Amino acid sequence: MLSLGTLGTAALTLALALAVYAVVAGAIGAIRRDARLQTSARLTALAVFLAATTAVIVMQAALLTDDFSVKYVAEHSRIESPIWVKVVTMWAALEGSVLLWAWLLTAYGAVLAVTAPNTVLRSWSLVVMQVVTIFFLSVVTFAANPFIVLANPPLDGPGANPLLQNHWMMAVHPVLMYLGYVGLTVPFAFAIAALITRRPGTEWMRLTRRWTLFGWGFLTVGIISGGWWSYEVLGWGGYWAWDPVENVSLMPWLTATAFLHSIQVQERRRMLKAWNLLLIVLTFALTLLGTFLIRSGVISSVHAFGDGPVGPFFLAFFIIVTLVSLSLVVWRWDQVRDRADLDAVVSREGAFIGVNVLFLAMTFAVLLGTVFPLFVEATTGSRVTVGAPFFDAITLPVWMLVLLLMGVGPLLPWRRAETQTLRSNLTWMTGALLLALVLGFVFGVRKVYPLITIGLAGWNLASAGLLLAGAIVPRARITGRSLGQVFTQYAFEQKRRFGSMVVHLGVVVIALGIAASGGYRVDQQIRLPYGERVAFQGYELQALRPFSERVAGRNSVGVEVAVFQGNREITVLTPRINRFGTSQMTVPTPSVRYTASHDLYLALAGAVDPQQDFVIIRAVQSPFVTWIWIGGVIMALGTIYAMSPGDRPLRRSVSAEAPAGAET
Amino acid sequence: MSTRLRRLLPVVAVMAALSGLFVFGLLRGNPDRDIPSAFLGREVPDFDLPVYERFVAEYGPRMRLAEVRGRPMVINFWASWCGPCYDEAPHLQRAWERYGDEVLFIGIQTQDRDAHAAGRAFIERFGLTFPNLFDGDSRVSIAYGLFGVPETFFVHADGTLQHKFAGPVTEAVLSEQIGALRR
Repeated sequence: MLSLGTLGTAALTLALALAVYAVVAGAIGAIRRDARLQTSARLTALAVFLAATTAVIVMQAALLTDDFSVKYVAEHSRIESPIWVKVVTMWAALEGSVLLWAWLLTAYGAVLAVTAPNTVLRSWSLVVMQVVTIFFLSVVTFAANPFIVLANPPLDGPGANPLLQNHWMMAVHPVLMYLGYVGLTVPFAFAIAALITRRPGTEWMRLTRRWTLFGWGFLTVGIISGGWWSYEVLGWGGYWAWDPVENVSLMPWLTATAFLHSIQVQERRRMLKAWNLLLIVLTFALTLLGTFLIRSGVISSVHAFGDGPVGPFFLAFFIIVTLVSLSLVVWRWDQVRDRADLDAVVSREGAFIGVNVLFLAMTFAVLLGTVFPLFVEATTGSRVTVGAPFFDAITLPVWMLVLLLMGVGPLLPWRRAETQTLRSNLTWMTGALLLALVLGFVFGVRKVYPLITIGLAGWNLASAGLLLAGAIVPRARITGRSLGQVFTQYAFEQKRRFGSMVVHLGVVVIALGIAASGGYRVDQQIRLPYGERVAFQGYELQALRPFSERVAGRNSVGVEVAVFQGNREITVLTPRINRFGTSQMTVPTPSVRYTASHDLYLALAGAVDPQQDFVIIRAVQSPFVTWIWIGGVIMALGTIYAMSPGDRPLRRSVSAEAPAGAET
Repeated sequence: MSTRLRRLLPVVAVMAALSGLFVFGLLRGNPDRDIPSAFLGREVPDFDLPVYERFVAEYGPRMRLAEVRGRPMVINFWASWCGPCYDEAPHLQRAWERYGDEVLFIGIQTQDRDAHAAGRAFIERFGLTFPNLFDGDSRVSIAYGLFGVPETFFVHADGTLQHKFAGPVTEAVLSEQIGALRR
């Protein structure tokens, strides 16, 4: 009988062969302008997707039927695991993750083949998409094949990594990340196509505007969901530790954010052509570099989720992508050179360029901190780690500048700002900043960065108000309609602009959440004797009884802790220690009471021993953490809104009206 | 052309430096794996574990390391869920058949809670005839500092460790290490 493993490898090989054909046919078709070959290449993109889908279905079948003759299943699955765990086990380890990545790439390739408008750029961008697909399919077929058939299949497997089984978010987070990474491959493909076809104008970025937002949005949500997972699972009460695995996800996000802003300068002012091309190349290259760094074992990370022989592949592809892209830029230098110059620094484009510099500086700092241990080891042989203090010290001031610019930028008109209107806007915003500072101080905020963040939140809120007022008030006056009506119309017609305002609002909300929870976290180890009430930050905690729980594939022991406020019992939290399958690894799982003003976070800090009449708990109270997740949702909603169809961009600059509105 | 290239020179330089660093990282390997055992040249920890039923007649219901010492030993840690363990089991059995007169082989099923039935099936499948023990709470694996399974410890007659091998053992490794033990 044909085994699932053989079938899976066959499907992958077929997909690979088809992708090679799509590249050859697409490239020849584009060079010779042969429409039939180009169509053939496009249809092949669909076939590649179908073949890769077959491989994914086979993998799912193997996981769900506990077919331990398939190596990946034998190494990462377990009979007693619940079905959802088996399904998501596909991306719980290296080989399956690469399979998922490759599959999403083929899906995007197929969608692009069907939906991309018929321009000169289409053929070449599809070729680039398929070249990237070939890389990922080769890795999953040759270097990290999950379908290898075992001669001696074991009777059962060890199960997926316990940390990943411990929270449903882990089913979602990797998919979000890959949707983001793969989404950013599309603008990269169009950028390369633009270079090949000598059309580095705005066409490629107009065609990929939604893809860019799509990829960036998923990357944003992916990173924030990763933070939430860390918070809910790792039991240290934090959400970001500047671990290499986090850093490498942040770097492409930083450059993609810079890209998102700087393409607007090119759209409006035909500037920064080469810069934009290089930025998207850098973004794509950084996704490869990140994968290389954490999957090759080159840099040790506290959560290295398995490595394998893929390191050299990713490094080689990273080098090839960078060299080829740079050569293309050099080769097409005459086309990509900017002809316009910056008229004034104080202008919208000036602000965009400023924010680009800030994001790039942060990317560089994060990269430096991440590879520094390797540098030290290469030069001196000793092993060091670069911790959170370095990254905080370097990036926090830059984040403050980002928040500062975020308030000013959208209010500035293109080309050159009028000094008078600018001054009046800045007066309002500075007033709001000072007001927020005073409020923060009155409510007891004394630390520098949280205080500055609160001030800048006021600054940004004032800026958003001025922006809206400038857009709405004059129009309401001219048309004689109510402000509400004009606002609705504005929000509905200016989706892109309104969406970006919502995203910026989300950033402010997240900044406040980070400032409060980072600056004012209370973290204590508490000894809780059973039956006694112990005070903690305005609460009283009472350990009621230990419990143990056994469900499919998981054993838990934990403690029920009643939480009192005054004399009222408000909730019972159940911090526990989970154990999965045969693994000896214990996963301390916190229990959290979420409220708008702060979270109460309890994790077991010691063993639950029935002989003992007390239990040791780690209690964390962090103010406003929830707002980080809420801010993430706001950013996602804003991104979706900005992407939604029906945007009617005004030729006239709205922001130029802002002062008129602001003064009334 | 030359001005273009000159502009890109810093980028290329940074790229080259980074790539060089990464190649170094790749060649260096992963230092977190393959940590030499802390017991090299020293006595390995004692243990006292239940013996699988089919070996009870010959070795008794429990086996204590201190009591069986006196000849060279090959202590192999395995688990029923571990793929590579299935690959190495036939080699171990063959080596046992060949050197069993002089060297004692001990199999220890570990990191495999509540998996008695699976362990029994594993032993029967490969017809293992050297004693196999059950380390139910994995304490022995912790005492021996296991990184994963399988790992094999080659121990002198006096109980000191000659070599620890991580990963599935091959015939070559077995004959080389056992040869050294018998010398």
